[in-house]
Amino acid sequence: MELEVDDNDVKAAGAELLADGRHGIRIHGWEVESLKRSILNSSTLQRWEEKLQTSHFPEMIFGESCLVLKHINSGTKIHFNAFDALIGWKQEALPPVEVPAAAKWKFRSKPAQQVILDYDYTFTTPYRGSETIEMNATKNEIKDVAEVAYNLQWEDCKKQIDVAALTSKEPILFYDEVVLYEDELADNGVSLLTVKVRVMPSSWFLLLRYWLRVDGVLMRLRDTRMHCVFGDNASPTILRETCWREATFQALSAKGYSTDSASYSDPSVISQRLPIILHKTEVLKIPGHI
Amino acid sequence: MPPSHSDLDRQIEHLMQCKPLPEAEVKTLCEQARAILVEEWNVQPVKCPVTVCGDIHGQFHDLVELFRIGGSAPDTNYLFMGDYVDRGYYSVETVSLLVALKVRYRDRITILRGNHESRQITQVYGFYDECLRKYGNANVWKYFTDLFDYLPLTALIESQIFCLHGGLSPSLDTLDNIRALDRIQEVPHEGPMCDLLWSDPDDRCGWGISPRGAGYTFGQDIAAQFNHTNGLTLISRAHQLVMEGYNWCQEKNVVTVFSAPNYCYRCGNMAAILEIGENMEQNFLQFDPAPRQVEPDTTRRTPDYFL
Repeated sequence: MELEVDDNDVKAAGAELLADGRHGIRIHGWEVESLKRSILNSSTLQRWEEKLQTSHFPEMIFGESCLVLKHINSGTKIHFNAFDALIGWKQEALPPVEVPAAAKWKFRSKPAQQVILDYDYTFTTPYRGSETIEMNATKNEIKDVAEVAYNLQWEDCKKQIDVAALTSKEPILFYDEVVLYEDELADNGVSLLTVKVRVMPSSWFLLLRYWLRVDGVLMRLRDTRMHCVFGDNASPTILRETCWREATFQALSAKGYSTDSASYSDPSVISQRLPIILHKTEVLKIPGHI
Repeated sequence: MPPSHSDLDRQIEHLMQCKPLPEAEVKTLCEQARAILVEEWNVQPVKCPVTVCGDIHGQFHDLVELFRIGGSAPDTNYLFMGDYVDRGYYSVETVSLLVALKVRYRDRITILRGNHESRQITQVYGFYDECLRKYGNANVWKYFTDLFDYLPLTALIESQIFCLHGGLSPSLDTLDNIRALDRIQEVPHEGPMCDLLWSDPDDRCGWGISPRGAGYTFGQDIAAQFNHTNGLTLISRAHQLVMEGYNWCQEKNVVTVFSAPNYCYRCGNMAAILEIGENMEQNFLQFDPAPRQVEPDTTRRTPDYFL
């Protein structure tokens, strides 16, 4: 998926696209880069099984794909990857959701031979991104980095993401969408974790979205939005909005909405129908000089 | 009326260019195919040499690539283990071609049923919408899904290699149990026929019940016992995406073959087919997607002002 970007827009914004086959942009002290790779091969998957202590994984794990936003001076890196998201899934460990066919399921295997698997096959994750501080460090500096990392804290705030500014049609200098993992739930719906980013002359904005539809049962949308307005290049601030929505098909039906799964293929179209169950905004102040 | 070879050859040539057949021709083709499939068995015997293929999922150009790698039909005998439709952009052309080949070369092509060869699944995952888009009505979808009820569930190569889409069932200990099923129906939500098209192998022993509350996984002990009981050397199945296109498991009692490269046009996986030779020797051929195909929707994009 390529986006036509006007070189003049990039130049006028004082930005430059990354070279050498890299996919990204450098702008106002930030380097935004996406990396898209194939799904994990069997040997890497085996290593993940050991590291995460599980043999259950989404059908498609784009384990080497990522989105990275690096503040060059401070070495602060906001990044998004499937591995960290699956750590979140393992920790949250929600109980499984039964599909409609379960009601009619007959246990035909001998009880002595039978195991009821009870992991969360929807791979629901509370993941909202990863942060690290990365210096062009010599070994001596690593200790300092650890101390700084400790200070990298999201704090609750009252401020909201400026949606009006984001609806203004300023040129998009860089855009990409990276799928982190996906599962078709054995044709019972969809579980999808993706992150989208767009970089404009005045800010960058991203949306990390976990989207789940278990046909006939429930829908779950966990959105994390981040917005960074360019201005103070030395110590920028990032706003992060977390918005979790969830509804059962039963609840939607009670409100008179359709319960046909085909009506719920695009989460951005139907998100308003799902009640909000968690909403908060936080700010990250990136330390200027390290 | 028996199909004329020249008609079929013309249709196959037309389809090989990724052009759908007119609705009336699809109707006739499905009637001809039904007459052939109704005579086939739930456990359809197949002779070697034969090349065994997994999921295709409407990736027509990759199917053409498969024939280029594996040899064209009927010079090579083929056994397809289901999932011809849904997901990809060319389910109509893909399933039309496979059915036309079946009608033209009935003893050289075997097509089994996958879990996507079902009315219900195709309405959600693309084939139904594609038929509406390409024909303006659902007739073609109906002709094909009615035909799917007749597809054999499993095949048996030289009494040794057992081929099917999904996997084993706790209700089916022997091949004779499978032969006794009444298969001419929509894929049920529950029961032995559903298991054959849906179940997956698992690392653990015994039968696993999916956390979804429906669906089985079968352990290595189950597969080993089934092979022993039925005098089999191997269970060959499809149904699951694997990066390398094929994947041995359960101490080589089971192999998964997946033949849709770069699945959904973005997974980056290889595809594979399994050649079974004249002396039952096994050889896997892996292949990449067909050279650069411009699929609809995957190229240029206008800026997305998402919020």
